[in-house]
Order: sequence, then C-alpha cells, then structure tokens
Amino acid sequence: MVKRSKVARILALSVMATALIGFNASESRADAATGKKAFDSKKCGGCHYTTGPAREKTIADQLKKKGPELWYAGSKFQKEWLGAWLQNPKPIRPLAYNSLTKKNPGNHPKLAAGDAAGVTDYLMSLTSKDVAAGVIKAKKNLKGKLVFTKKMPCSGCHQYEMRKKVKGGLSGPSLVGAGKRLNPDWIYAYLKAPKAFKPVKMMPVFTGILSDKQMKDVSTFVANFK
Amino acid sequence: MLRSAFIFVALVIFGISGSGEANAAGAKEVYDFYCSQCHGATGKGDGPNVTKDMPVTPRNFTNAAEMNKLSDKDLRDVIMDGGPALSKSSIMPPWSQTLTEGETTGLIKHIRKLCKCKGK
Repeated sequence: MVKRSKVARILALSVMATALIGFNASESRADAATGKKAFDSKKCGGCHYTTGPAREKTIADQLKKKGPELWYAGSKFQKEWLGAWLQNPKPIRPLAYNSLTKKNPGNHPKLAAGDAAGVTDYLMSLTSKDVAAGVIKAKKNLKGKLVFTKKMPCSGCHQYEMRKKVKGGLSGPSLVGAGKRLNPDWIYAYLKAPKAFKPVKMMPVFTGILSDKQMKDVSTFVANFK
Repeated sequence: MLRSAFIFVALVIFGISGSGEANAAGAKEVYDFYCSQCHGATGKGDGPNVTKDMPVTPRNFTNAAEMNKLSDKDLRDVIMDGGPALSKSSIMPPWSQTLTEGETTGLIKHIRKLCKCKGK
C-alpha cells in the first residue's frame, strides 16, 4: 500500500515535470517566433541574412553585404551580451562594415527592451551544426597568448586589451570583451573551418597553418578577454 | 577530325583560363580586399591597421629601390608563408591557405605595377 502511494507520487511528479518542461519549450519557441516577427518588422533582414549555409562566393559577393550574416548567431554569440547589445549597440569593428577607410558610424538601430528580448530569442535559435559544444573553456592560456601576440599576426588587425590598455589594428572586429560577446566554442569552430561561416573574408585562413592544439589555445585565450 | 580539333581548341581555352590567375582588375580587387588593410590602397604602407601599436611599418610598395631588392620568388614566399619567410615580422600573415596560385601570381604583378620595378 505504502509502495503504491510512493509510485503514484513519483508518477504524478514526473507528469508535472514533463508538463513544465514542455510548457517552457513551447514558450521558448513562441518567444523566438515573436522575435522573428520583430526582426522582420524592423527590416533587419535588409542588412543581415538569417538562413544558411553561407552564400558568398566572391569578394564582390562579400562587398555587396550591408551587415554580417546571422544564420549561426545562436552558435556565435552569448545570449546575455546579445540582448544588452541590441538595446544599446556599440561598434564592434572600429571601421564601418566592409570599409577600410570609413570609421564605424555606430548607427546600428536600437531596439526597445521587449523587441530586443524577442529578437535575441530568435537569433539564439539560429545555430550551426559546425559548432561543437563544450570544447573550449575560457581561461588564461600562455600558449594561446604567445600565438596571438607573437607567432601570428592577430593583433595586426584586431584590437584587444592587455594590462588595461587597448591596442591592435582596426580592420578586424575588436576583440576587447570578446569573452562576453562570443561563444568560446564558436571561436574555435571558426578558426578550424572558417569557410563554413565566412567563405570570403579579410582574415587569412589559418587551417593547415596552426595546429588543432594551437587553435584551441588561441580560442581559450581570446574567450578569456573580459 | 573535326571532333579532335574541337577538343584541342577547348583544351587550349580551358588551359589558359583554368590557370586561375586573376586578371588585372581581379588582382586589384584581391589586393584591395586583403593587402590594403596594412599596405594601403596605393601601396605606400599606410593601411588602416598601421597604428602606433603596429610593431613594424608595412612594406612601401612604391619604393622601387627597396622593392628591386626582392625577387618575384621572395614576394611569393612572403605572401604565401608570411613575414618570417624572409626573416621579417610575423605581423605579415601567411596567405597560403587563403589565396589561390593564380591570385598570388596576379598580386605579384600588381605589386610590380605599384613599384614600377621588376625586382632582382
């Protein structure tokens, strides 16, 4: 008798848990769907495409784009950062998109908190199968630092912060605070197979130049930029 | 006979265009997209990445006297394998996994136009 009531309680709890999980999942999908509507109504698709795979085949294709592709945004960005950035966007690349002469005007549209939350949910639902989860953990990495600052030309194009001083080149996206912005696993996936994400880009391909271990070290190092 | 002639013509055409060498316009596009980040649009070594933090000054391609000291092979080596190929700074990236052979050949020709020199 006691056993039966225990089983019944466990069953009831399981049903409730399943219902709650199911409810949360459908709520999450609903938020992404609402966010997609906001994304469309704000005409974000005029500058950002959201369906993969990557479309660019030539330099001209890349130069025609008005903004970065977002079809793998959920694999690339950190949700908290994305939600805050959409409400208060600040330039990531010091120079304007695709330009080597114009300063980034910092004129990305701002979204209200509600729209930003919805668009964040939508963008975070866009993921790439080429980003394996749980490979890279942000932490200090001296070997990665050596590759980034000495062996390879990363700092020639990317700003980064060291000992409270920002330095580096301007043609690449700034990596100051990259650990808050980027998913560490995406950094590694991008170094490993860049053409899956950006087939035509100003940054050299390092696959076949850096070893897998070096790519992991650099990713770990960059993911630790706070 | 006619079929053989057709195949021969097709081979000649594809043999020429299939080398993948960027034409003059293509070479400038490749240069502007990749190289001008540091070497500048006109090759003077004054691209947007040349800030006070850059540890070296990128090569000024318009300096014929300096550029004449480099052979086309030197240029190819440094484009493909980066600055260390010529005992120069690693801030010059290796482009071997990015550029095709043809694009590299086109770039060398474009750089020779910028320096108006043939090299050693």
